[in-house]
Amino acid sequence: MSRGFDPVEFGIRYGFLLLMAGLIVGFSVAQPAFMSARSAVFIFQSVAITGILALGVTATLVVGGFDLSIGAVATSSMMLAAYAQVIWQLGAIEAVALCLLMGAAVGYINGVLIVKMRVPDLLATLGMMFLLMGLQRIPTEGNSISTGMALPDGSNATGTFSPSFLMLGRHRLDVVIENLLPLSVVFLIAIAVLIWIFLEMTRHGRIMYAIGSNDRAAALAGIDVNGYRILAYVISGTLASFGGILLAARLGRGDVASGNNLLLDAVAAALIGFAVLGAAKPNAFGTAIGALFVGILLQGLTMLNAPYYTQDFIKGAVLVIALVFTFALSGRRGRARH
Amino acid sequence: MISRRTLIGLMGGAAMWPGLVLAQDGAPAPFDNPGDVRIALVRYLSTGDFFQAYLSGVEKQAEALGVELQVFDSRQDAALQADMVDQAIALGVDGIIIQHGLTESMKEAAQRAVDAGIKVVAFDVNVENEAIPQIEQSDRDLARLALEQAIEDNGEEWVAGYVYVPGIAPLDRRNETWVEFKETYPGITEKAAFGTMDNPIANSVANQARSVLSANPDITVMFAPYDEFAKGVKIAVDEAGLSQDVSIYSADISTADIALMREADSSWKATAATNPAVVGEVSVRTLAQYLAGEEVAPQVIVPPTLITQDQLNELEITNMEELGAKLPEFVHADVSVSDWMTLPER
Repeated sequence: MSRGFDPVEFGIRYGFLLLMAGLIVGFSVAQPAFMSARSAVFIFQSVAITGILALGVTATLVVGGFDLSIGAVATSSMMLAAYAQVIWQLGAIEAVALCLLMGAAVGYINGVLIVKMRVPDLLATLGMMFLLMGLQRIPTEGNSISTGMALPDGSNATGTFSPSFLMLGRHRLDVVIENLLPLSVVFLIAIAVLIWIFLEMTRHGRIMYAIGSNDRAAALAGIDVNGYRILAYVISGTLASFGGILLAARLGRGDVASGNNLLLDAVAAALIGFAVLGAAKPNAFGTAIGALFVGILLQGLTMLNAPYYTQDFIKGAVLVIALVFTFALSGRRGRARH
Repeated sequence: MISRRTLIGLMGGAAMWPGLVLAQDGAPAPFDNPGDVRIALVRYLSTGDFFQAYLSGVEKQAEALGVELQVFDSRQDAALQADMVDQAIALGVDGIIIQHGLTESMKEAAQRAVDAGIKVVAFDVNVENEAIPQIEQSDRDLARLALEQAIEDNGEEWVAGYVYVPGIAPLDRRNETWVEFKETYPGITEKAAFGTMDNPIANSVANQARSVLSANPDITVMFAPYDEFAKGVKIAVDEAGLSQDVSIYSADISTADIALMREADSSWKATAATNPAVVGEVSVRTLAQYLAGEEVAPQVIVPPTLITQDQLNELEITNMEELGAKLPEFVHADVSVSDWMTLPER
């Protein structure tokens, strides 16, 4: 690669970012309201929850694993946050701590199932997904949780969501414009930066990549492969439960939902991330861009009155194109290098 | 024809009201020995507050009548639901309630049940069978009540946003009313139509509604004829700081919805709803009448109620129970009531 300019190389590295810039310009021309500070912030807000989940997926992808349970962890965490506050009448801090603990515990169990019990990752997390989807409904007999709801014993729930808890999903900071930046966006950016630093800058991150590319070699090099793989699932579970907390804070109730759409959107973001900057591997920066890309598309299409099925179609098309970028083009480059 | 029959049913039900206390004494066969009567509820949809409340209505009315109820839950698996009807036939139940489902998959299974001598009623699914009475919450009336309120509040000229996902039977029926309304009132302009069933639905709809509101700042009325849609729109309206400028009209209600409608400056102005628990009770009563050999209308319609923000505030209603207590028409429908029946306690 000593030549000055290689269009294929350039396309692989910057193609996706250019496509994104093109989309932004296109939508702005078609609908001027698209190009405003509020609209930009809103795109971030609409992808904050799936983005955070996608960063968790990235952590498991890095060690060559996969976590199908994140959607269910997120909705379970939402139900738990609601249950803790509305029925147990706990405060915001206890509720958040409880949810994070639940997410970490689920991640740990996933990790142990995969590493110690040797259950394949897709199967273990699939089982966990169904388990959680059922478990979150048992305490309320399948009902959503909200203040004033009738309890199985005939009385009514009197607890309310703590205002500081609701702030997590609703409060907006004054940045340049008043009430501009939602806290959830701040969380997304902070978590993305943290995961990026962890994976790219620390020894632990490099070890996790090493495990993902060849776990046997990593084990022979004296690395605690099992420990790191469990850690990846704990990260994934914890981030998913945090996503659920933000969801509960935005909706203001515990909504019965399977979370499958959250899972699919998060996985799509992480996979699109492979194509960003020609990384051809899971990476935090790519995941964040992938999530944003989907957010920009959906926001723009909705503004242009495109019905939901065309949005699903386009989401799918983007994913396929991203995967082609990753596997076909980058693969050719890889072979050319040999 | 249908409405006249329903009306006669209503009048009959109302006239019999005082006799209810004595219920079950002179119950016709097979309800003279209700413990031996077994009915099955075969469900297609079960997740969510509406279906949970429907089930509780079915359970309560079955208990009040003293019959044995068996619940089959296919969880949106159309083939499994048909198998479950066969299972119920094999168990030798006396009556079956089919709750939702697809015409194509249920038609034959329902016919098999009828052939086996079982009395069948269907809620919100058309199984194209004359021997099977249909129980319906009137979605057209739901939409009409909400839209009439929108006209009353906002006049006949406004710019609207509309939330709709085609292909879902009750939403399609509500949509028919919306289409008619736009023709009747040419002053209504539909600037944007959006909607999604991605769950959590409220969260996904909120994201869409935010885009729609920023692209179309002139929208003053949002018609969201499903409460999950309305919740999503309300989140978006609040986030955009437009709660004074946009009014939301909706259908369905729950305790959480009541809280949202009653928030200070809430943009959610009115909703029209049928109590799902009442629909569940009506389903069981219709089946019971059918089993007792009484005449049952081919279409049994449970009438909806309009619930406005002002009403909730004036009557200080905070949950579904109080709604039932203070708006009695919401907690009981005099539909499919015979004098020998015991009604659930309230």
